Amino acid sequence: MKVARGEELRPEQAVNAWFAERGWKPFPFQRKVWKAFERGESGLLHAATGAGKTYALWMAALLRGMRGQSAPGAGLRVLWITPMRALAADTIKALEAPASTLLPGWTGGLRTGDTGSAERARQTRNLPSVLVTTPESLTLLLSAADAHTRFKNLDAVIVDEWHELLGSKRGVQTQLALARLRLWRPGLVVWGLSATIGNLQVAQDALLGTGQGVLIEGANDKDIEIDTLLPKNIGRFPWGGHLGIQMLKAVIAEIDASPSTLVFTNTRSQSEIWYQNLLAERPDWAGLIALHHGSLDKGVRDWVEMSIKDGSLKAVVCTSSLDLGVDFAPVERVLQIGSCKGIARLLQRAGRSGHAPGRRSRVTLVPTNSLELLEAAGARRALKARQVEARVPPNKPLDVLVQHMVTMALGGGFRSEALYEEVKSAWSYRELGKEEWQWALDFVARGGQSLAVYPEYRRVLPDEDGIYRVPDATLARRHRMNIGTIVADATIQVKFLSGAKLGAVEESFISRLAKGDHFLFGGRVLEFIRINEMTAYVRRGSGRKGAVPRWQGGKMPMSSELAHAALACLEDAAAGHYLGPEMRTIQPLLELQQRWSDLPTARTLVLESLHSREGAHLFLYPFAGRSVHLGLGSLLAYRIARQRPATFSIAVNDYGLELLCPDEVDFAALVQHPTAPEHALFSEDRLLEDVLASLNAAELAQRRFREIARISGLLFQGYPHQKKSSRQLQASSSLFYEVFRKHDAGNLLLTQAQREVLEQELELSRLRETLAEMRSRTLAFHQVPRATPFAFPLMVERFREKLSTEKLSDRVARMVRELENAAALPEKRRG
Amino acid sequence: MASGAVDIELAGERLVLLPQRALYWPARKLLVIADIHFGKAASFRAGGIPVPRGTTTENLQALDALIDACQATHALFLGDFLHARHAHAAATIAAMHAWREQRSSLQLTLVRGNHDRHAGDPPASLRIEVVDEPWKIGPLLFAHHPQSHPDGYVLAGHVHPVYRLATRGDALRLPCFVFGAESGMLPSFGSFTGGHPVVPEPGDRLFVTTDDRVMEVPVRGAVRRM
Repeated sequence: MKVARGEELRPEQAVNAWFAERGWKPFPFQRKVWKAFERGESGLLHAATGAGKTYALWMAALLRGMRGQSAPGAGLRVLWITPMRALAADTIKALEAPASTLLPGWTGGLRTGDTGSAERARQTRNLPSVLVTTPESLTLLLSAADAHTRFKNLDAVIVDEWHELLGSKRGVQTQLALARLRLWRPGLVVWGLSATIGNLQVAQDALLGTGQGVLIEGANDKDIEIDTLLPKNIGRFPWGGHLGIQMLKAVIAEIDASPSTLVFTNTRSQSEIWYQNLLAERPDWAGLIALHHGSLDKGVRDWVEMSIKDGSLKAVVCTSSLDLGVDFAPVERVLQIGSCKGIARLLQRAGRSGHAPGRRSRVTLVPTNSLELLEAAGARRALKARQVEARVPPNKPLDVLVQHMVTMALGGGFRSEALYEEVKSAWSYRELGKEEWQWALDFVARGGQSLAVYPEYRRVLPDEDGIYRVPDATLARRHRMNIGTIVADATIQVKFLSGAKLGAVEESFISRLAKGDHFLFGGRVLEFIRINEMTAYVRRGSGRKGAVPRWQGGKMPMSSELAHAALACLEDAAAGHYLGPEMRTIQPLLELQQRWSDLPTARTLVLESLHSREGAHLFLYPFAGRSVHLGLGSLLAYRIARQRPATFSIAVNDYGLELLCPDEVDFAALVQHPTAPEHALFSEDRLLEDVLASLNAAELAQRRFREIARISGLLFQGYPHQKKSSRQLQASSSLFYEVFRKHDAGNLLLTQAQREVLEQELELSRLRETLAEMRSRTLAFHQVPRATPFAFPLMVERFREKLSTEKLSDRVARMVRELENAAALPEKRRG
Repeated sequence: MASGAVDIELAGERLVLLPQRALYWPARKLLVIADIHFGKAASFRAGGIPVPRGTTTENLQALDALIDACQATHALFLGDFLHARHAHAAATIAAMHAWREQRSSLQLTLVRGNHDRHAGDPPASLRIEVVDEPWKIGPLLFAHHPQSHPDGYVLAGHVHPVYRLATRGDALRLPCFVFGAESGMLPSFGSFTGGHPVVPEPGDRLFVTTDDRVMEVPVRGAVRRM
């Protein structure tokens, strides 16, 4: 600081002065963080968005600079990792403001996938004092041969929104990058920021190492109010979409009553539909409301974010794309369309309103089907009991390891023993065995463990000193292009004929469109004209109707915290107690369910069987979330089909599941009177074997393999604008899966695919608990003449998983017969 | 003749569709194979993508079994015999030589395809007659790329057709044969090749293959696109 001697402020005083100039005063938790930083401690800060978390850590890092604790001279001192590149620009602005006053010598910079080549080249010569980056861009920096010299003055790493990365492979990638940085800078100070989750201790351990660092509690969760927009008439059959639009008028009234509202939806398709319907109902809101989701062009998203900040928009319909970061001070109201599926997410979205200190956050749930009223009641119950979901880090994913090995071979090369120890210091790999390590090394160095020598194979090779490097420049370039663990579906740019960019949709959607077809995108009805070079050209369509693109991406299962709370609400209802406005509204529907069948509760497992033209249906309602239901459905179908070859289609939602078999099945006998103990459907015996066998029959693992194939470098997404050049090296992941199964069955990536399906898609441990719970419940079996309120949404679900133990040709012959019969029916009956 | 096969008549000739994803012409003792893509796995390995060994052997064994079952004297490949330049890998070519020695009297013909142009012709020592498309035998024309031709009915490969067979409760993706008025397509034979979904036109005949059967699927009168 250029202040005359004698008047010079001590660093803390300078920071206090900077706060005071803005009429602020540091919070006690901010001072705690600064002290810990001064002592060189690492830690985790638990604080909500808008609570002053950014300055808690940034001032701490600046103070170290001002005190001369970080190395003098030029070069990178602080690395700030953010999960979303969209947040990076805002973050660097927030960081630069105090730095320019307090440490004017420091420079700031951005490094994300959007950073241009000129800026990248400047950074190659000299990195700024603070760099805001994403996990992917950081790993890319580590892949440079001279990476260690660029990080030689690094003093601190701050991981923003760590809870967002923690449970994903991106979090694992971050752990591996930190392991490398700690190796180069042993005293490195590392801090994470986390919102409220159910396992903060794991969040801390995964970031800092088991038992390392301190946990500092930031401002307490603000008071949060949850309420529900109640529909006037709930109807008898609670299926998706129906009630959604019934609620349009009520939502409009809410938006009208507040200066600014965020309308959260769960999917991009849903946001498009709601935006379109709002505008159709209120044409005068054109220009006052906007749409924001991850597939829209960045320019559009930036404009929307700016407009929220300057308060010029009345409402924004958005998806999880606005869950994170950026403080939107002017937002008054938050509406959540449909189920929030979990308490942590609800807390996060609620926190988007009432940002100013002392103001309450409020989120209003808008049910899109009547059963979501039950979830709303459950959400309030769970929040009161502070039951918030955990985020579990992946356990030693080998695809990420394989990618990391190649990255390290590029980033100066590695010796096997040293890199093994380094990788093991990352929490997710703390139990990585020597054999698994050797397998991964063989996979990248020799193309596999099998003793066959592949002379033509080369990816990573040891030089004469035993240091593994990437010998081929083409492979090096290809690897750098494909660093990361985000697996995007093949997307196509959407542009007007004039060239204006609108965003991107999935190739599979566009490929089904014919010239002249209309579709809804970016809040407009567009007419599809043609596809050329990975771009779909469109013009403004006439009329108001159009197909809505569906983006892939898993539907989040309802968390078990929320599910248990919902079951508790049903338990009360079964006893005749309807507590709270949501339960009272849904009362007629639940009473109908009770009359026709039974209410599922924590004590009663309800099963219903039904015969229709499609075949024999079995419905059951364990309330364990869609992933567990998928596993359970596959397991039950497999156990039934083991006794006699059959094909089942399985439909699931968060409340229950349906098995449908085109042939006659006596479900009542199977469930109530198994012929032998080994035919008991809900047994936990042989659970793992049966689930694995059912998996192979259900082809789930094959789908999971896609992500693994992409991350481990089997599939690559190609170079931008060069989609065709690499055709000869493209094969589908299912093809790889088949070839590995046939010719390299011991391949650990296959094992990983299986494990990921078990742990993540089917949640095996939760499935085991669910089976135990189900057996402890009283079975209530009902033969119903028509679908009950709980059965109906499952019966109309179009996406179905298949499980078959029929011989393939028998199965095809049956399908062909069905098609022939359908074709033979008179025209009028087919309608 | 192999079990599970289906006879059809095209241009006045009886042809047999085999569940092993090949076509046999009994009158000429001719076995027709599309898109075998020898050496594809080796090309991937050369590109730094680890694919296990075994696909070449699998292809050759499948070919052997089929030739024995049909008593074919002539095998005709509808293009994409070798996947890429790297498919000339020593091990791949050696395996093919060993196979050729066992089958020294078999007549082999290759109609060049797009991959063959990049990969180059197979080594002369394999004694494969290499011709340009379309290649005429009797009333039939054999090509790599699907096409219509005034000289006769065209049988082609290239597309790797698969069909999504779907009923109300079930769906499967199966390699298929498709026959239109002027030309037909064969499924790909290779063990490491993918598929491209096709939608039959009204009037087409469509046959799906499983491991042991060929079955005709009724094609709807009108095809509606969404």
